[in-house]
Amino acid sequence: MIEVKKISKTYGKGDNAFRVLKNINFTIPDGASVAILGKSGSGKSTLMHVMSGLDRPDSGEIIIDGKDILKLSQKDVDKFRSTKMSFIFQSFFVQANESCYDNVSLPLEIAGVSTSRRRSKIEAALTAVDLADKIKSRARDLSGGQKQRLAVARAIVNSPQILFADEPTGNLDSVTGGKVESLLFNYNKKNKITLIVVTHDPELAARCDIQIHIKDGKIDSIKEMKK
Amino acid sequence: MKLRDIAIRAGRSLKQAKARTLLTSLAIGVGAFTITLSLAAGVGGRSYTDQIVNANTNVKELSVTKKAPASQQGPQKYTGGVAVSSNSFYSGQYLTQDDINKIQKLDGVVSVSPNYSPQIKYITRLDQEKYVATISTFSPSVTLKFAAGSVNGDLTDNEIILTEEYVTALGFSSNADAVGKTVDIVADKLSSPVTAPESNSFVYTVKGVSSKSGLAFRAQSSLLISNASAKTLYDYINLGTRGYGNYLVASVETASASQATKVKDDLTSMGYLAQTAADILGVVNTFINVLQGILLGFGALAVLTSVFGIINTQYISVLERTQQIGLMKALGMRRRDVGRLFKLEAAWIGLLGGSIGTGLAVILGTIANPIISKALDIGDVSLIVFTPMNIAIVIIGLVVVSVSSGILPARKAAKLNPIEALRTE
Repeated sequence: MIEVKKISKTYGKGDNAFRVLKNINFTIPDGASVAILGKSGSGKSTLMHVMSGLDRPDSGEIIIDGKDILKLSQKDVDKFRSTKMSFIFQSFFVQANESCYDNVSLPLEIAGVSTSRRRSKIEAALTAVDLADKIKSRARDLSGGQKQRLAVARAIVNSPQILFADEPTGNLDSVTGGKVESLLFNYNKKNKITLIVVTHDPELAARCDIQIHIKDGKIDSIKEMKK
Repeated sequence: MKLRDIAIRAGRSLKQAKARTLLTSLAIGVGAFTITLSLAAGVGGRSYTDQIVNANTNVKELSVTKKAPASQQGPQKYTGGVAVSSNSFYSGQYLTQDDINKIQKLDGVVSVSPNYSPQIKYITRLDQEKYVATISTFSPSVTLKFAAGSVNGDLTDNEIILTEEYVTALGFSSNADAVGKTVDIVADKLSSPVTAPESNSFVYTVKGVSSKSGLAFRAQSSLLISNASAKTLYDYINLGTRGYGNYLVASVETASASQATKVKDDLTSMGYLAQTAADILGVVNTFINVLQGILLGFGALAVLTSVFGIINTQYISVLERTQQIGLMKALGMRRRDVGRLFKLEAAWIGLLGGSIGTGLAVILGTIANPIISKALDIGDVSLIVFTPMNIAIVIIGLVVVSVSSGILPARKAAKLNPIEALRTE
């Protein structure tokens, strides 16, 4: 369970101060798929960064499994991220010069997984995203859709509890984007992990269990979809 | 993250920028090359002088001269005795028989022999041309390389050691042919009146032929006779002249090496300049050390330049890979590990540059060594000696230098804010 309590965040100081998040509160149950919706500049990305411990809010608490991650040391937050969270970005951020294998291997290396246990995990992750035959290919030789699937493989390889996806289909056409969406939601349902998608695409948001609308740094509405 | 994984990733990102990595390493390589060669030349030079001095001197022996006056500026006052000087700004003095007697009486002195260097007129033999020659005193403690014949202990009276050049010049068919044959040395009696010049021929039996050796000081050109023979010649030539009984240098033999040091102190306090084998070695080695120091300085300068190269390259690398760094940090890579990644990249550059530089130095040194030895005519002596220890020190040292130059860029990478980094598109 993720509890977000009284989160506020201000950028800049004095006259230039800009309150990007204003007293945000909500709770996400384990295994849910959540869409954080909002216009550009609404603060939805900052909210994701705060929830993942990448950014520090001015005040508030982020309680994951009963622990306030904002009270952890930098070292423990890093460990938390490397073992329990993962990310998918709009512009993929796969390493073009590296092979698919090495791209997917990175989170395992960061988490300190031994060399012998890595291969089977990497192969499983690449198979899950249908890229098993590209294991030795360099990432730069992949198409956009394949790159994002590679990013999904990288995100799921270490079996995270929470998967953050920042506009995962923003740079893809509807067909390849749909394929990536299916991958994410299937993985979410099958493995009971929490999927948090930041998007402004209503169609993508419609597939989520919970929709959180952000407007001018405040929660506009929270909708639970009954399926 | 495990150090091994970081090292592999560091190596991989260098491989992806091959040209840049190679060029940066080459800058260090130049430093490594210079430093390795200068260290090798130092080792070679010192061991060469060590061999020369050991082969030509005796630890029990001292070489003694009169001490030159402390002040050497301006015209020197006349202090009596016979001056060596040929100009008015330097005044040294000869050792006289009195000095020899005084030194002889010192504790620990076994024998004192002035270095007679008789100025003969020429050397010849029956039906052959006449040749000028330099005569020196044979010393059993000085190593000689014989091309023919040999000497057990000291030479006896009227025995001579020729050099290979004189063997040919004097018409012997081979080095071995000369051994046992006789040669004539003709000397003028200097005190004889100009109107009735007197000269005498001395007959010597060839005991051996010395060949050129990279380790010999004087065997290259001097003909060697025993001290007693030299005195006979010297007396014939100089007796009755004003210079008779004045010697520039005398050899003092002591009972042991430790006695030599003690006698040296005594002689110094008595106003003589005494040098042991170690002193002579020290003088030569100081010269080599200065030369080596200059070379090392150039190497250090090259390394200093390459430090800025590494810092620059690594800064650019950090800028280029902002996204990658952001991603790694987002995935939970610790700041320390991000820093290590860049420091290890610098270490790889240092290792590569160090290996290239030392490798080239070893190859070039190995090729050049026989050429240098031949050019300097020192036989089979190596002047460039590579020791694994020195090479290891150079490489490890350069890796350390590289890592230190990588610290600043690594810190920049470690401090990078992942959110900012991932925003870069």
